[in-house]
Amino acid sequence: MDPDALAKAFVEHYYSTFDTNRNGLANLYQEGSMLTFEGQKIQGASSIVAKLTSLPFQQCHHSISTVDCQPSGVNAGMLVFVSGNLQLAGEQHTLKFSQMFHLIPTPQGSYYVLNDIFRLNYA
Amino acid sequence: MDPDASAKAFVEQYYSTFDTNRNNLPCSLSRLRRSWCQHSITTVDSQPSAVNSAMLVFVSGNLQLAGEQHSLKFSQMFHLIPTPQGSYYVLNDIFRLNYA
Repeated sequence: MDPDALAKAFVEHYYSTFDTNRNGLANLYQEGSMLTFEGQKIQGASSIVAKLTSLPFQQCHHSISTVDCQPSGVNAGMLVFVSGNLQLAGEQHTLKFSQMFHLIPTPQGSYYVLNDIFRLNYA
Repeated sequence: MDPDASAKAFVEQYYSTFDTNRNNLPCSLSRLRRSWCQHSITTVDSQPSAVNSAMLVFVSGNLQLAGEQHSLKFSQMFHLIPTPQGSYYVLNDIFRLNYA
């Protein structure tokens, strides 16, 4: 699969899992994974998922505007840079966000998230 | 220097160079049509990227272009690799405007 198609497939999987079953994201992180969420640094799959499942909204929907990817030069890793809109349940206006992932191949032929940095883009 | 301080120093140097002397940046950037621009940085986040002290830097901010009343929001990420001289070079660079 070409890298752009891979990145797009990963992004669709990640955000559909986030929007429907945040606990399911645990499979995409490992103990060495790092998330920076709005400046807060969190390490390890269990702490990352604990953070994501403790966010103060039960339902949300990500709609993706752009996906860019490049090989990261690290163990066949891939850098994925996403921008889009986040709709929270009960909110009239969407929030713009940008996020980057550094994906590393697993021995099973899939990818896990080593680096994850998320920011809302305030107007 | 701690990684966050290194990231911040790199970001200040990169955008200051971009805004004042684009000719020292990659060729495609020096051909941008506007005569000047000014980046103002809102957030800088960094993480180690797991190999040889490389660093991922994620920036968001506003870009003011010559003659434009309103600034444009942008996000950019850099993958920085250490050089033998003790500095960094940009291995990966992805830039996006964040349209309203």
